Amino acid sequence: MKISLNRAYAVRDHWSLLASGTFNQGVHLVSGDVGSGKSTLALMMAELFPLSSGRIEKAEITSCMLSLQFPELHLTGRSVAEECTSWGISADDIVVATGLTGRKDASPFSLSRGELKRLHLACIFAKDYDLLLLDEPFSSLDCQEKTKLCTTIEQKSRGITVIFTHEQNILPRVSRIWEILDGKLIDCGRPPDAFLHWCHVPPSVKRLTALGLRPDNISMEDLQEAACRIQG
Amino acid sequence: MITIEFLRHRNLAIDALTIKPGITSIIGANGSGKTTFLKICAGIELPDRGTIRIDNLAPRETEIGWVNEFPDRNILFANVIDEIASPLRFHRITSCNKIDTDIRACAESINISHLLNRAVRELSGGEKVLVSLAAALVHRPTVLLLDEYDSHLDALLAAQINQVIRASGARYVIRCTQQMDTAMQSNQLLFFDSGRVTHAGTPEHVFSFLKGTAYYPFLWMR
Repeated sequence: MKISLNRAYAVRDHWSLLASGTFNQGVHLVSGDVGSGKSTLALMMAELFPLSSGRIEKAEITSCMLSLQFPELHLTGRSVAEECTSWGISADDIVVATGLTGRKDASPFSLSRGELKRLHLACIFAKDYDLLLLDEPFSSLDCQEKTKLCTTIEQKSRGITVIFTHEQNILPRVSRIWEILDGKLIDCGRPPDAFLHWCHVPPSVKRLTALGLRPDNISMEDLQEAACRIQG
Repeated sequence: MITIEFLRHRNLAIDALTIKPGITSIIGANGSGKTTFLKICAGIELPDRGTIRIDNLAPRETEIGWVNEFPDRNILFANVIDEIASPLRFHRITSCNKIDTDIRACAESINISHLLNRAVRELSGGEKVLVSLAAALVHRPTVLLLDEYDSHLDALLAAQINQVIRASGARYVIRCTQQMDTAMQSNQLLFFDSGRVTHAGTPEHVFSFLKGTAYYPFLWMR
């Protein structure tokens, strides 16, 4: 199972993006500045943004889901229960998992942004997709929920998960790191070697690396393990 | 000073709270009442019970700058330049030259001059937040209220914006954030839990109660 980008080129009025590379099974992180094109790349990989040239090929991928940055853009239900049903899943399970017990009949717009994001992500992760594209999945989540989301992503046993984010603190263990620089997608490689080339390397990783204690990966567990080496 | 007494509104229950001038960050779980608190500070919602006074004035008598957590709900106009101009026009400033000068100075301070002639629909999520911030700052508010504005910004840009916020001249900046590195850089920190302010004080003081939780800044771990 893989998705290959072969000089995939997208153009907007003031901006363009050129992307090449192969995303195999595992968890991929795509970083980049605001406006660099992370969301557009997600749309391109979901075949929702037309290419000006080049191509994107999928092998053995039969199901794809794109989680948009703003969860309100996904809403179709007038209540929390209707929203769950629209995803083809049981509202009872989701409200318990998201701490929204007793709010099944509430309008999704009455939820706080974090609660709405939790609801949306729970609906996404209730099903298993071959290709899961997560655009800024950590935005609006509190620190505890970000940590839980990392665990959920790491526990996904199959498929390709691509996280497009500028989150720098609470991240899951990933198999490959990419970044968008000057309109081009760059393959930084696998961690920890990727840290050598990664311009958007998180400050905590940078700090540990400067102390000669490069973490194995970017998850909080990896950072804490490396930090413990300092104490030891 | 901002003084709050016996506030009751939705899930909020705050008996007494004082916020000094400077930057105050609010942290806590989703649904703990942070946004509701900001809305009361902004005068967008009036409390069911209790009082809030900003330098002895009601919020609705105070110049407020507001950045919503949903960038799309913050923006009224189709073009960036009209959006940033809107607070000045709503205040019936009629000099086109002054409006133009203020817009350009504000956009330059946030480093978004290149966006001025763009349509809002073309912007990324982060860029919409920057435009909202420019609109909030252009009329030089006394109180700047920011609801998780940084959840759509990359680290470098968030750092630059923090400098802009510090230089904004707003007497009070109250911001909700889930970035503990940002929360560390505040004059005062409030931790909300189920509608109550359970910890308040300097970041060092508040974080001392949060050791071992996901809220404790990694850079402080030893």
